[in-house]
Amino acid sequence: MTLTNRSSLFAGAAALLMPVAIGMIFFYAPLEKTMGSVQKIFYFHLPLAFSAFLSFFVAFVAGIMYLRTRRQVWDARLAASVEIGVVFTTLVLITGSLWGKPIWNTYWTWDPRLTTSLILWFIYASCLILRSAVEEEGKRATYCAVMAIVGFVDVPIVFFSARLWRSIHPVVIRSDSVGLESSMLITLLVSMLAMLAFWIGLYKFRVSLQLQEAAANELLNPKD
Amino acid sequence: MSSLHQIRFLLCKDLRVELRKKESLVSMAFFGALILVILNIATGIGKQVDAETGAGILWVAVMFSSVLGLGRVFAREKENGCVAALLISPAAPWEIYVAKALVNFTLMVLSELVLVPVFYVLFGAQLQGTPLTLVPILLLVNLGFSVTGTLISAISAGTRRNEVLLPILLFPLLLPLIAFAVKATSAALAARPFAELLDQLEPMAAFCVIFAVVGYLLFPFAIRED
Repeated sequence: MTLTNRSSLFAGAAALLMPVAIGMIFFYAPLEKTMGSVQKIFYFHLPLAFSAFLSFFVAFVAGIMYLRTRRQVWDARLAASVEIGVVFTTLVLITGSLWGKPIWNTYWTWDPRLTTSLILWFIYASCLILRSAVEEEGKRATYCAVMAIVGFVDVPIVFFSARLWRSIHPVVIRSDSVGLESSMLITLLVSMLAMLAFWIGLYKFRVSLQLQEAAANELLNPKD
Repeated sequence: MSSLHQIRFLLCKDLRVELRKKESLVSMAFFGALILVILNIATGIGKQVDAETGAGILWVAVMFSSVLGLGRVFAREKENGCVAALLISPAAPWEIYVAKALVNFTLMVLSELVLVPVFYVLFGAQLQGTPLTLVPILLLVNLGFSVTGTLISAISAGTRRNEVLLPILLFPLLLPLIAFAVKATSAALAARPFAELLDQLEPMAAFCVIFAVVGYLLFPFAIRED
């Protein structure tokens, strides 16, 4: 019961923060000089990308923890984060393409970041297909845990190999400086906060749903 | 028995089965040659391909034909409940992993002995590099494909949709390896100096090492039947 309460807490925070973020994007953040209003998609693109990578990291940790402990809750966490990660990566690719068309004059280019995101999408989408293909719970959880770990190990290699192609992706946040005006930065931070609250809310809902589903299955088909 | 003995025993067993039935090898070589012919027609009959396109064509044929053989490596064990027998045998899971990867490696090498000559017959007119420079690239890809593929095929063979799931799960993971291989192969086919190839061969070797370790660690979980 506490799980549901906390998930509605984060969902509520997201419901409050999201309109604030959208309002700030359109009325508070200044218009970018060369790109104009197209640049505003960035305030959603970056938080989405960050949350997507966060979900794959959570899936990786949950995968390791499942293989170590064999507790069902870790499988639920893994499933929830992979699902959200795939949806968020899809949105990252779509928002990026929408921005790229007017700015780069193409929807798609083989830039390291784009390539990495696309391959990540393929790896974790295949993990979802795998989930739907296995019915036995223990087997499904083990297989998905292995795939989530292997997929995460592949990420740095993919990024490294993608450097074979040239990069034209803008780097806004560097280690030494942030290439943003302060009002833009504040807007970005609020959007980031809204997206993270949204992510946690979604994650908690999906985890509790997975656990309830498993409990219902247990009631319908008792093990022995 | 020492690990080396176990591995050699398992390897010989699988190769003996293959030698008697020849189902994997024949289908791999046949399917690969078929893909090469289709791609030859698709690129336009009578047109010569350059080194970069040729490299892509070779790897498409090798990948798609190898996945056929890989699917059989575990499916054969699943059919009569042999995995359970393997698991209660004195062989440790990691020894099974190494043996299976070696079986797949051998199958790939043998099928490439057919595919590479066919590739040269169909596309070789414009290519300058000697086929010998392809050998290290082929061996590294075979190794990377086998260590990753053996782990993934243990997973896909446990499901009811082995043939469909195997390429879906495996190809996204192999994309970086293939990207390096295509780059190296196009340099080799254009007869560039060998030092240029090393830039690609080193990360390919790193890929093999990383996934061999990952496979060694995760294979026991993937193969366990519970």
